[in-house]
Amino acid sequence: MFRDFFDRAHWFALGGLVIALFYLLFFSPVDGSTVRKQDKRLELVLQEKARIAFLLETYAPVEELAAAGNRAAALLKLEELERDFPGEAHASILRGSLLLEQGAIAEGIAAYVLGVRQNGDYIDARSLLGRHREITALVEAELPLIKVRVEKSPNSRTWNEALNNIYYLQSRLAGGCE
Amino acid sequence: MRRFLTDRHIWLVIVSGGILGTFGVLLAFWGNPEHSGICISCFLENTAGALGLHPDTRMQYLRPELPGFILGAMASALVGKEFKTRGGKAPIFRFMSGFFLLVGCTVFIGCPIKLFLRLTAGDMTVWSGLLGLLVGIGIATRGLTSGVYIDRGETQRGGGGVLVPLLFLFFLLLLFVRPAFILFSERGSAAQHAPVLISLLVALLIGVLAQRSRFCITGALRDLFLIGFRAPLFWGLVAMVLAAVVTSLLTGSFRLGLYGQPGAHFDMFWSFAGMLLVGWMSVLIGGCPFRQLVKAGEGDTDAGMVVLGMLTGAGIVQSWNISATAAGVSFYGQVAVLVGLIFVLTTSLLFRERATA
Repeated sequence: MFRDFFDRAHWFALGGLVIALFYLLFFSPVDGSTVRKQDKRLELVLQEKARIAFLLETYAPVEELAAAGNRAAALLKLEELERDFPGEAHASILRGSLLLEQGAIAEGIAAYVLGVRQNGDYIDARSLLGRHREITALVEAELPLIKVRVEKSPNSRTWNEALNNIYYLQSRLAGGCE
Repeated sequence: MRRFLTDRHIWLVIVSGGILGTFGVLLAFWGNPEHSGICISCFLENTAGALGLHPDTRMQYLRPELPGFILGAMASALVGKEFKTRGGKAPIFRFMSGFFLLVGCTVFIGCPIKLFLRLTAGDMTVWSGLLGLLVGIGIATRGLTSGVYIDRGETQRGGGGVLVPLLFLFFLLLLFVRPAFILFSERGSAAQHAPVLISLLVALLIGVLAQRSRFCITGALRDLFLIGFRAPLFWGLVAMVLAAVVTSLLTGSFRLGLYGQPGAHFDMFWSFAGMLLVGWMSVLIGGCPFRQLVKAGEGDTDAGMVVLGMLTGAGIVQSWNISATAAGVSFYGQVAVLVGLIFVLTTSLLFRERATA
Protein backbone atom coordinates (compact mmCIF):
# COMPACT_ATOMS: atom_id res chain seq x y z
CA MET A 1 0.00 0.00 0.00
CA PHE A 2 3.06 2.29 0.12
CA ARG A 3 4.74 0.77 -2.90
CA ASP A 4 5.02 3.53 -5.45
CA PHE A 5 4.34 7.18 -6.09
CA PHE A 6 0.62 6.55 -6.73
CA ASP A 7 0.11 4.95 -3.30
CA ARG A 8 2.21 7.53 -1.49
CA ALA A 9 0.40 10.45 -3.17
CA HIS A 10 -2.95 9.02 -2.08
CA TRP A 11 -1.76 8.58 1.51
CA PHE A 12 -0.37 12.10 1.52
CA ALA A 13 -3.66 13.56 0.23
CA LEU A 14 -5.64 11.44 2.68
CA GLY A 15 -3.59 12.71 5.62
CA GLY A 16 -4.02 16.31 4.45
CA LEU A 17 -7.79 15.93 4.13
CA VAL A 18 -8.16 14.32 7.57
CA ILE A 19 -6.23 17.24 9.12
CA ALA A 20 -8.38 19.74 7.18
CA LEU A 21 -11.58 18.03 8.33
CA PHE A 22 -10.37 17.98 11.93
CA TYR A 23 -9.57 21.72 11.73
CA LEU A 24 -12.92 22.49 10.11
CA LEU A 25 -14.85 20.58 12.76
CA PHE A 26 -13.09 21.81 15.84
CA PHE A 27 -11.29 25.11 15.14
CA SER A 28 -12.98 27.02 12.32
CA PRO A 29 -15.42 29.81 13.22
CA VAL A 30 -19.05 28.77 12.56
CA ASP A 31 -20.71 30.65 9.74
CA GLY A 32 -23.90 32.31 10.97
CA SER A 33 -25.90 31.55 7.82
CA THR A 34 -25.09 27.83 8.18
CA VAL A 35 -26.39 27.82 11.73
CA ARG A 36 -29.69 29.38 10.67
CA LYS A 37 -30.19 26.84 7.92
CA GLN A 38 -29.34 23.88 10.09
CA ASP A 39 -31.09 24.73 13.32
CA LYS A 40 -34.06 22.48 12.70
CA ARG A 41 -34.44 21.71 16.39
CA LEU A 42 -34.97 25.37 17.29
CA GLU A 43 -37.55 25.67 14.51
CA LEU A 44 -39.48 22.71 15.90
CA VAL A 45 -39.40 24.07 19.45
CA LEU A 46 -40.68 27.44 18.23
CA GLN A 47 -43.41 25.77 16.18
CA GLU A 48 -44.54 23.78 19.20
CA LYS A 49 -44.55 26.80 21.53
CA ALA A 50 -46.46 28.83 18.94
CA ARG A 51 -48.95 26.01 18.50
CA ILE A 52 -49.62 25.78 22.22
CA ALA A 53 -50.00 29.55 22.56
CA PHE A 54 -52.36 29.60 19.58
CA LEU A 55 -54.51 26.77 20.95
CA LEU A 56 -54.74 28.26 24.43
CA GLU A 57 -55.69 31.64 23.03
CA THR A 58 -58.14 30.33 20.41
CA TYR A 59 -59.97 27.97 22.74
CA ALA A 60 -59.91 30.33 25.77
CA PRO A 61 -63.58 31.39 25.25
CA VAL A 62 -64.64 27.72 25.46
CA GLU A 63 -62.68 27.23 28.66
CA GLU A 64 -64.14 30.43 30.13
CA LEU A 65 -67.73 29.39 29.36
CA ALA A 66 -67.08 25.95 30.83
CA ALA A 67 -65.53 27.48 33.96
CA ALA A 68 -68.64 29.65 34.35
CA GLY A 69 -70.73 26.47 34.27
CA ASN A 70 -72.26 27.26 30.87
CA ARG A 71 -71.40 23.93 29.22
CA ALA A 72 -74.04 24.08 26.46
CA ALA A 73 -72.73 27.46 25.29
CA ALA A 74 -69.18 26.13 25.53
CA LEU A 75 -70.09 23.20 23.26
CA LEU A 76 -71.70 25.60 20.76
CA LYS A 77 -68.59 27.78 20.76
CA LEU A 78 -66.49 24.66 20.25
CA GLU A 79 -68.56 23.71 17.20
CA GLU A 80 -68.10 27.19 15.81
CA LEU A 81 -64.34 26.93 16.22
CA GLU A 82 -64.29 23.46 14.70
CA ARG A 83 -65.71 24.87 11.50
CA ASP A 84 -62.61 27.08 11.27
CA PHE A 85 -60.12 24.44 12.42
CA PRO A 86 -61.50 20.96 11.65
CA GLY A 87 -59.66 17.90 12.93
CA GLU A 88 -57.94 19.72 15.77
CA ALA A 89 -57.13 17.39 18.68
CA HIS A 90 -57.48 20.15 21.27
CA ALA A 91 -61.14 20.59 20.35
CA SER A 92 -61.78 16.86 20.71
CA ILE A 93 -60.19 16.83 24.17
CA LEU A 94 -62.22 19.85 25.28
CA ARG A 95 -65.39 18.24 23.92
CA GLY A 96 -64.57 15.06 25.85
CA SER A 97 -64.15 17.02 29.04
CA LEU A 98 -67.42 18.93 28.55
CA LEU A 99 -69.43 15.81 27.65
CA LEU A 100 -68.14 13.96 30.70
CA GLU A 101 -69.14 16.88 32.90
CA GLN A 102 -72.61 16.65 31.35
CA GLY A 103 -72.76 12.95 32.16
CA ALA A 104 -72.46 11.73 28.55
CA ILE A 105 -69.86 9.09 29.47
CA ALA A 106 -69.65 7.03 26.27
CA GLU A 107 -69.56 10.13 24.03
CA GLY A 108 -67.02 11.84 26.29
CA ILE A 109 -64.68 8.85 26.19
CA ALA A 110 -65.04 8.64 22.40
CA ALA A 111 -64.06 12.32 22.11
CA TYR A 112 -60.98 11.73 24.29
CA VAL A 113 -59.98 8.75 22.13
CA LEU A 114 -60.33 10.85 18.99
CA GLY A 115 -58.18 13.61 20.51
CA VAL A 116 -55.43 11.19 21.61
CA ARG A 117 -55.42 9.50 18.21
CA GLN A 118 -55.13 12.90 16.52
CA ASN A 119 -52.26 13.95 18.77
CA GLY A 120 -50.47 11.64 21.20
CA ASP A 121 -49.23 14.62 23.23
CA TYR A 122 -52.54 14.66 25.13
CA ILE A 123 -51.78 11.35 26.83
CA ASP A 124 -48.24 12.40 27.68
CA ALA A 125 -47.33 13.47 31.20
CA ARG A 126 -44.41 15.55 29.86
CA SER A 127 -46.37 17.57 27.33
CA LEU A 128 -47.63 21.05 28.16
CA LEU A 129 -50.95 20.08 26.60
CA GLY A 130 -50.97 16.69 28.35
CA ARG A 131 -54.09 15.43 30.11
CA HIS A 132 -52.37 12.38 31.56
CA ARG A 133 -53.75 12.76 35.07
CA GLU A 134 -57.27 13.50 33.85
CA ILE A 135 -57.32 10.51 31.47
CA THR A 136 -55.84 8.21 34.13
CA ALA A 137 -58.60 9.22 36.53
CA LEU A 138 -61.19 8.69 33.79
CA VAL A 139 -59.95 5.17 33.02
CA GLU A 140 -59.73 4.20 36.69
CA ALA A 141 -63.21 5.48 37.44
CA GLU A 142 -65.09 4.37 34.33
CA LEU A 143 -63.51 1.05 33.32
CA PRO A 144 -65.12 -1.03 36.11
CA LEU A 145 -68.48 0.69 35.61
CA ILE A 146 -68.48 0.17 31.85
CA LYS A 147 -67.55 -3.50 32.30
CA VAL A 148 -70.60 -3.94 34.52
CA ARG A 149 -72.79 -2.18 31.93
CA VAL A 150 -71.51 -4.45 29.17
CA GLU A 151 -72.12 -7.52 31.33
CA LYS A 152 -75.67 -6.37 31.96
CA SER A 153 -76.37 -5.57 28.29
CA PRO A 154 -73.85 -7.52 26.20
CA ASN A 155 -75.52 -6.49 22.94
CA SER A 156 -75.36 -2.76 23.61
CA ARG A 157 -73.33 -1.25 20.82
CA THR A 158 -72.78 1.99 22.73
CA TRP A 159 -71.26 0.34 25.79
CA ASN A 160 -69.23 -2.17 23.80
CA GLU A 161 -67.71 0.70 21.84
CA ALA A 162 -67.10 2.61 25.08
CA LEU A 163 -65.33 -0.44 26.51
CA ASN A 164 -63.08 -0.72 23.45
CA ASN A 165 -62.37 3.00 23.66
CA ILE A 166 -61.45 2.88 27.31
CA TYR A 167 -59.17 -0.11 26.65
CA TYR A 168 -57.46 2.00 24.00
CA LEU A 169 -56.88 4.81 26.52
CA GLN A 170 -55.62 2.27 29.06
CA SER A 171 -53.18 0.88 26.52
CA ARG A 172 -51.90 4.36 25.65
CA LEU A 173 -51.48 5.20 29.34
CA ALA A 174 -49.41 2.02 29.75
CA GLY A 175 -46.83 3.57 27.40
CA GLY A 176 -44.75 1.47 25.04
CA CYS A 177 -43.48 2.28 21.60
CA GLU A 178 -45.88 4.16 19.33
CA MET B 1 -27.17 -35.73 26.23
CA ARG B 2 -23.68 -35.57 27.77
CA ARG B 3 -22.33 -34.04 24.56
CA PHE B 4 -25.13 -31.49 24.72
CA LEU B 5 -24.23 -30.54 28.28
CA THR B 6 -20.48 -30.34 27.68
CA ASP B 7 -20.72 -28.42 24.39
CA ARG B 8 -19.20 -24.98 25.00
CA HIS B 9 -21.09 -23.42 22.09
CA ILE B 10 -24.47 -24.47 23.46
CA TRP B 11 -23.67 -22.84 26.79
CA LEU B 12 -22.50 -19.71 25.01
CA VAL B 13 -25.83 -19.58 23.16
CA ILE B 14 -27.76 -20.14 26.40
CA VAL B 15 -25.82 -17.38 28.19
CA SER B 16 -26.39 -15.02 25.23
CA GLY B 17 -30.12 -15.71 25.26
CA GLY B 18 -30.25 -15.27 29.03
CA ILE B 19 -28.40 -11.96 28.91
CA LEU B 20 -30.59 -10.71 26.05
CA GLY B 21 -33.78 -11.61 27.94
CA THR B 22 -32.58 -10.12 31.22
CA PHE B 23 -31.38 -6.82 29.79
CA GLY B 24 -34.31 -6.66 27.37
CA VAL B 25 -36.52 -6.23 30.42
CA LEU B 26 -34.06 -4.23 32.51
CA LEU B 27 -33.52 -1.56 29.84
CA ALA B 28 -37.26 -0.86 29.92
CA PHE B 29 -37.09 -0.81 33.72
CA TRP B 30 -34.24 1.71 33.49
CA GLY B 31 -36.09 4.06 31.17
CA ASN B 32 -36.75 2.65 27.69
CA PRO B 33 -40.45 2.45 26.69
CA GLU B 34 -42.49 -0.33 28.29
CA HIS B 35 -41.90 -3.75 26.67
CA SER B 36 -39.34 -2.07 24.37
CA GLY B 37 -36.15 -2.58 26.33
CA ILE B 38 -34.77 -3.98 23.11
CA CYS B 39 -36.66 -3.57 19.85
CA ILE B 40 -34.69 -3.21 16.65
CA SER B 41 -37.58 -1.80 14.61
CA CYS B 42 -38.58 0.76 17.27
CA PHE B 43 -34.94 1.82 17.69
CA LEU B 44 -34.54 2.21 13.93
CA GLU B 45 -37.72 4.32 13.75
CA ASN B 46 -36.36 6.55 16.53
CA THR B 47 -32.98 6.80 14.78
CA ALA B 48 -34.57 7.63 11.42
CA GLY B 49 -36.60 10.35 13.15
CA ALA B 50 -33.53 11.83 14.81
CA LEU B 51 -31.83 11.98 11.40
CA GLY B 52 -34.83 13.86 10.00
CA LEU B 53 -36.09 10.97 7.86
CA HIS B 54 -39.62 11.27 9.23
CA PRO B 55 -41.61 14.10 10.81
CA ASP B 56 -43.06 12.39 13.91
CA THR B 57 -41.77 14.57 16.73
CA ARG B 58 -42.55 11.85 19.28
CA MET B 59 -40.26 9.28 17.62
CA GLN B 60 -36.88 11.03 17.36
CA TYR B 61 -33.89 9.76 19.32
CA LEU B 62 -30.53 8.29 18.36
CA ARG B 63 -30.76 5.03 20.28
CA PRO B 64 -27.24 4.06 21.43
CA GLU B 65 -28.20 0.39 21.50
CA LEU B 66 -27.97 0.09 17.69
CA PRO B 67 -24.32 1.26 17.41
CA GLY B 68 -23.65 -0.83 20.52
CA PHE B 69 -24.86 -4.05 18.91
CA ILE B 70 -22.93 -3.41 15.69
CA LEU B 71 -19.70 -2.19 17.28
CA GLY B 72 -19.77 -4.95 19.91
CA ALA B 73 -20.14 -7.52 17.15
CA MET B 74 -17.36 -5.85 15.17
CA ALA B 75 -14.97 -5.84 18.15
CA SER B 76 -15.74 -9.48 18.83
CA ALA B 77 -15.25 -10.43 15.17
CA LEU B 78 -11.93 -8.55 15.03
CA VAL B 79 -10.63 -10.23 18.19
CA GLY B 80 -11.79 -13.62 16.97
CA LYS B 81 -10.25 -12.94 13.52
CA GLU B 82 -13.69 -13.40 11.96
CA PHE B 83 -14.12 -9.90 10.59
CA LYS B 84 -14.17 -10.23 6.84
CA THR B 85 -15.69 -8.06 4.15
CA ARG B 86 -18.03 -10.41 2.35
CA GLY B 87 -21.20 -10.02 0.29
CA GLY B 88 -22.17 -8.82 -3.14
CA LYS B 89 -25.12 -11.11 -3.81
CA ALA B 90 -28.47 -9.55 -4.73
CA PRO B 91 -27.86 -6.21 -2.98
CA ILE B 92 -31.04 -4.47 -4.15
CA PHE B 93 -33.12 -7.46 -3.17
CA ARG B 94 -31.55 -7.33 0.29
CA PHE B 95 -32.21 -3.60 0.59
CA MET B 96 -35.87 -4.16 -0.25
CA SER B 97 -36.00 -7.10 2.16
CA GLY B 98 -34.82 -4.77 4.91
CA PHE B 99 -37.55 -2.34 3.98
CA PHE B 100 -40.28 -4.99 4.16
CA LEU B 101 -38.86 -6.43 7.39
CA LEU B 102 -39.51 -3.02 8.92
CA VAL B 103 -43.02 -2.92 7.44
CA GLY B 104 -43.87 -6.28 9.01
CA CYS B 105 -42.37 -5.34 12.36
CA THR B 106 -44.07 -1.97 12.60
CA VAL B 107 -47.48 -3.36 11.65
CA PHE B 108 -47.11 -5.83 14.52
CA ILE B 109 -45.44 -3.11 16.68
CA GLY B 110 -42.10 -4.74 17.36
CA CYS B 111 -39.35 -6.96 16.04
CA PRO B 112 -39.13 -10.68 16.95
CA ILE B 113 -37.12 -9.84 20.10
CA LYS B 114 -39.85 -7.48 21.25
CA LEU B 115 -42.47 -10.09 20.40
CA PHE B 116 -40.90 -12.37 23.02
CA LEU B 117 -40.38 -9.51 25.48
CA ARG B 118 -44.06 -8.59 25.15
CA LEU B 119 -45.07 -12.23 25.56
CA THR B 120 -42.91 -12.73 28.64
CA ALA B 121 -44.33 -9.55 30.19
CA GLY B 122 -47.79 -11.09 29.99
CA ASP B 123 -49.08 -9.37 26.83
CA MET B 124 -51.60 -11.82 25.42
CA THR B 125 -52.19 -9.82 22.23
CA VAL B 126 -48.97 -11.18 20.75
CA TRP B 127 -50.20 -14.74 20.17
CA SER B 128 -51.39 -14.01 16.66
CA GLY B 129 -48.01 -12.42 15.86
CA LEU B 130 -46.16 -15.42 17.28
CA LEU B 131 -48.31 -17.74 15.20
CA GLY B 132 -47.59 -15.61 12.12
CA LEU B 133 -43.85 -15.71 12.84
CA LEU B 134 -43.90 -19.51 13.19
CA VAL B 135 -45.94 -19.97 10.00
CA GLY B 136 -43.64 -17.60 8.10
CA ILE B 137 -40.54 -19.44 9.30
CA GLY B 138 -42.22 -22.75 8.50
CA ILE B 139 -43.04 -21.70 4.93
CA ALA B 140 -39.55 -20.30 4.39
CA THR B 141 -37.95 -23.45 5.78
CA ARG B 142 -40.05 -25.51 3.39
CA GLY B 143 -38.82 -23.14 0.68
CA LEU B 144 -35.20 -23.76 1.65
CA THR B 145 -35.67 -27.50 1.35
CA SER B 146 -37.36 -26.97 -2.03
CA GLY B 147 -34.44 -25.09 -3.50
CA VAL B 148 -35.19 -21.44 -2.68
CA TYR B 149 -31.70 -20.15 -2.16
CA ILE B 150 -30.23 -16.68 -2.12
CA ASP B 151 -26.51 -16.94 -2.74
CA ARG B 152 -24.24 -16.28 0.17
CA GLY B 153 -21.82 -13.45 -0.49
CA GLU B 154 -18.18 -14.00 -1.27
CA THR B 155 -15.12 -12.37 0.24
CA GLN B 156 -14.74 -8.92 -1.26
CA ARG B 157 -11.87 -6.56 -1.83
CA GLY B 158 -11.96 -2.94 -0.72
CA GLY B 159 -12.87 -3.21 2.95
CA GLY B 160 -16.51 -2.19 2.39
CA GLY B 161 -17.49 -4.20 5.45
CA VAL B 162 -16.40 -1.39 7.76
CA LEU B 163 -18.76 1.16 6.21
CA VAL B 164 -21.96 0.23 8.07
CA PRO B 165 -20.15 -0.03 11.44
CA LEU B 166 -18.55 3.35 10.69
CA LEU B 167 -21.94 4.84 9.86
CA PHE B 168 -23.33 3.70 13.20
CA LEU B 169 -20.19 4.91 14.98
CA PHE B 170 -20.95 8.27 13.39
CA PHE B 171 -24.53 8.09 14.75
CA LEU B 172 -23.07 7.43 18.19
CA LEU B 173 -20.84 10.49 17.88
CA LEU B 174 -23.88 12.55 16.84
CA LEU B 175 -25.66 11.38 19.99
CA PHE B 176 -22.88 12.75 22.16
CA VAL B 177 -22.12 15.92 20.12
CA ARG B 178 -25.83 16.70 19.48
CA PRO B 179 -25.47 19.03 16.49
CA ALA B 180 -28.46 21.25 15.72
CA PHE B 181 -29.63 19.20 12.74
CA ILE B 182 -30.18 16.08 14.85
CA LEU B 183 -33.63 15.94 16.43
CA PHE B 184 -34.48 14.65 19.89
CA SER B 185 -38.06 14.19 21.08
CA GLU B 186 -39.01 15.87 24.32
CA ARG B 187 -42.18 13.82 24.67
CA GLY B 188 -43.57 10.54 23.43
CA SER B 189 -41.89 7.16 23.47
CA ALA B 190 -38.61 8.45 22.02
CA ALA B 191 -38.20 10.74 25.02
CA GLN B 192 -38.13 7.63 27.21
CA HIS B 193 -34.70 6.08 27.38
CA ALA B 194 -32.35 4.37 29.77
CA PRO B 195 -29.13 6.28 30.66
CA VAL B 196 -27.01 6.50 27.51
CA LEU B 197 -23.88 4.85 28.90
CA ILE B 198 -25.80 1.97 30.44
CA SER B 199 -27.63 1.36 27.14
CA LEU B 200 -24.38 1.50 25.23
CA LEU B 201 -22.48 -0.85 27.55
CA VAL B 202 -25.34 -3.36 27.62
CA ALA B 203 -25.60 -3.26 23.82
CA LEU B 204 -21.85 -3.73 23.39
CA LEU B 205 -21.98 -6.79 25.66
CA ILE B 206 -24.96 -8.22 23.78
CA GLY B 207 -23.28 -7.47 20.45
CA VAL B 208 -20.16 -9.41 21.53
CA LEU B 209 -22.17 -12.38 22.80
CA ALA B 210 -24.46 -12.44 19.78
CA GLN B 211 -21.48 -12.44 17.42
CA ARG B 212 -19.80 -15.32 19.27
CA SER B 213 -22.97 -17.36 19.64
CA ARG B 214 -24.72 -16.44 16.33
CA PHE B 215 -27.89 -15.91 18.37
CA CYS B 216 -30.95 -15.16 16.26
CA ILE B 217 -34.64 -15.45 17.07
CA THR B 218 -35.82 -16.62 13.66
CA GLY B 219 -32.69 -18.76 13.26
CA ALA B 220 -33.59 -20.54 16.51
CA LEU B 221 -37.10 -21.34 15.29
CA ARG B 222 -35.86 -22.28 11.81
CA ASP B 223 -33.37 -24.73 13.35
CA LEU B 224 -36.13 -26.12 15.53
CA PHE B 225 -38.11 -26.93 12.36
CA LEU B 226 -35.06 -28.36 10.62
CA ILE B 227 -33.26 -30.37 13.31
CA GLY B 228 -35.61 -30.40 16.28
CA PHE B 229 -34.62 -29.93 19.89
CA ARG B 230 -30.94 -30.59 19.19
CA ALA B 231 -30.73 -27.04 17.78
CA PRO B 232 -28.48 -24.99 20.13
CA LEU B 233 -30.10 -21.69 19.09
CA PHE B 234 -33.48 -22.97 20.22
CA TRP B 235 -32.11 -23.45 23.75
CA GLY B 236 -30.78 -19.90 23.59
CA LEU B 237 -34.31 -18.74 22.82
CA VAL B 238 -35.66 -20.81 25.73
CA ALA B 239 -33.04 -19.19 28.01
CA MET B 240 -34.06 -15.75 26.75
CA VAL B 241 -37.74 -16.41 27.44
CA LEU B 242 -37.09 -17.80 30.93
CA ALA B 243 -34.72 -14.95 31.84
CA ALA B 244 -37.20 -12.36 30.59
CA VAL B 245 -40.10 -13.91 32.54
CA VAL B 246 -38.07 -14.03 35.76
CA THR B 247 -36.78 -10.46 35.32
CA SER B 248 -40.28 -9.19 34.47
CA LEU B 249 -41.64 -10.79 37.64
CA LEU B 250 -38.79 -9.41 39.76
CA THR B 251 -39.12 -5.88 38.40
CA GLY B 252 -42.89 -5.90 38.67
CA SER B 253 -43.39 -5.34 34.95
CA PHE B 254 -45.25 -8.62 34.41
CA ARG B 255 -48.92 -8.04 33.83
CA LEU B 256 -50.86 -10.91 32.34
CA GLY B 257 -53.76 -9.84 30.19
CA LEU B 258 -55.21 -8.90 26.86
CA TYR B 259 -56.25 -5.33 27.59
CA GLY B 260 -54.34 -2.20 28.50
CA GLN B 261 -51.01 -3.56 27.29
CA PRO B 262 -48.45 -0.95 26.18
CA GLY B 263 -47.84 -0.61 22.44
CA ALA B 264 -50.34 -3.30 21.48
CA HIS B 265 -53.40 -3.48 19.24
CA PHE B 266 -56.21 -5.91 18.56
CA ASP B 267 -55.90 -6.23 14.78
CA MET B 268 -54.96 -9.87 15.21
CA PHE B 269 -55.09 -10.77 11.53
CA TRP B 270 -52.67 -7.99 10.62
CA SER B 271 -50.36 -8.86 13.52
CA PHE B 272 -50.33 -12.37 12.12
CA ALA B 273 -49.66 -11.15 8.57
CA GLY B 274 -46.95 -8.70 9.66
CA MET B 275 -45.03 -11.34 11.56
CA LEU B 276 -45.62 -13.88 8.80
CA LEU B 277 -43.78 -11.49 6.52
CA VAL B 278 -40.97 -10.99 9.04
CA GLY B 279 -40.49 -14.72 9.70
CA TRP B 280 -40.53 -15.62 6.04
CA MET B 281 -38.21 -12.83 4.98
CA SER B 282 -35.78 -13.36 7.86
CA VAL B 283 -35.19 -17.00 6.99
CA LEU B 284 -34.63 -16.17 3.33
CA ILE B 285 -31.99 -13.54 4.11
CA GLY B 286 -30.34 -15.47 6.92
CA GLY B 287 -31.49 -13.81 10.12
CA CYS B 288 -33.88 -11.60 12.05
CA PRO B 289 -33.37 -7.80 12.18
CA PHE B 290 -31.08 -8.18 15.22
CA ARG B 291 -28.94 -10.82 13.49
CA GLN B 292 -28.63 -8.55 10.43
CA LEU B 293 -27.11 -5.84 12.65
CA VAL B 294 -24.66 -8.32 14.16
CA LYS B 295 -23.68 -9.68 10.74
CA ALA B 296 -23.20 -6.13 9.45
CA GLY B 297 -20.78 -5.68 12.35
CA GLU B 298 -18.83 -8.73 11.14
CA GLY B 299 -18.24 -7.10 7.76
CA ASP B 300 -21.14 -8.73 5.91
CA THR B 301 -22.11 -6.13 3.32
CA ASP B 302 -25.25 -8.09 2.35
CA ALA B 303 -26.49 -7.71 5.93
CA GLY B 304 -25.32 -4.08 5.71
CA MET B 305 -27.68 -3.58 2.76
CA VAL B 306 -30.53 -5.07 4.83
CA VAL B 307 -29.68 -2.66 7.66
CA LEU B 308 -29.73 0.30 5.27
CA GLY B 309 -33.06 -0.94 3.86
CA MET B 310 -34.44 -1.18 7.39
CA LEU B 311 -33.26 2.34 8.21
CA THR B 312 -34.88 3.70 5.05
CA GLY B 313 -38.02 1.71 5.82
CA ALA B 314 -38.05 3.13 9.35
CA GLY B 315 -38.34 6.63 7.90
CA ILE B 316 -40.95 5.68 5.32
CA VAL B 317 -43.27 3.69 7.63
CA GLN B 318 -43.63 6.74 9.84
CA SER B 319 -43.91 9.28 7.02
CA TRP B 320 -46.47 7.25 5.09
CA ASN B 321 -48.55 6.21 8.11
CA ILE B 322 -47.71 2.53 7.59
CA SER B 323 -46.77 1.71 11.16
CA ALA B 324 -49.49 0.54 13.52
CA THR B 325 -50.51 2.22 16.77
CA ALA B 326 -52.54 1.09 19.76
CA ALA B 327 -55.57 2.13 17.67
CA GLY B 328 -54.76 -0.58 15.12
CA VAL B 329 -53.25 -1.00 11.67
CA SER B 330 -53.83 1.77 9.14
CA PHE B 331 -55.06 1.18 5.62
CA TYR B 332 -51.56 1.96 4.31
CA GLY B 333 -50.07 -0.54 6.77
CA GLN B 334 -52.41 -3.24 5.48
CA VAL B 335 -51.52 -2.44 1.87
CA ALA B 336 -47.78 -2.43 2.66
CA VAL B 337 -47.96 -5.87 4.32
CA LEU B 338 -49.76 -7.33 1.33
CA VAL B 339 -47.19 -5.80 -1.03
CA GLY B 340 -44.45 -7.27 1.19
CA LEU B 341 -46.02 -10.72 0.98
CA ILE B 342 -46.25 -10.38 -2.81
CA PHE B 343 -42.54 -9.42 -2.80
CA VAL B 344 -41.51 -12.42 -0.72
CA LEU B 345 -43.61 -14.83 -2.80
CA THR B 346 -42.12 -13.50 -6.02
CA THR B 347 -38.67 -13.77 -4.50
CA SER B 348 -39.25 -17.40 -3.60
CA LEU B 349 -40.23 -18.12 -7.19
CA LEU B 350 -37.35 -16.19 -8.75
CA PHE B 351 -34.63 -17.46 -6.43
CA ARG B 352 -35.63 -21.11 -6.61
CA GLU B 353 -33.02 -23.43 -8.06
CA ARG B 354 -34.79 -26.02 -10.16
CA ALA B 355 -33.34 -29.28 -11.35
CA THR B 356 -32.73 -29.16 -15.09
CA ALA B 357 -34.44 -31.90 -17.07
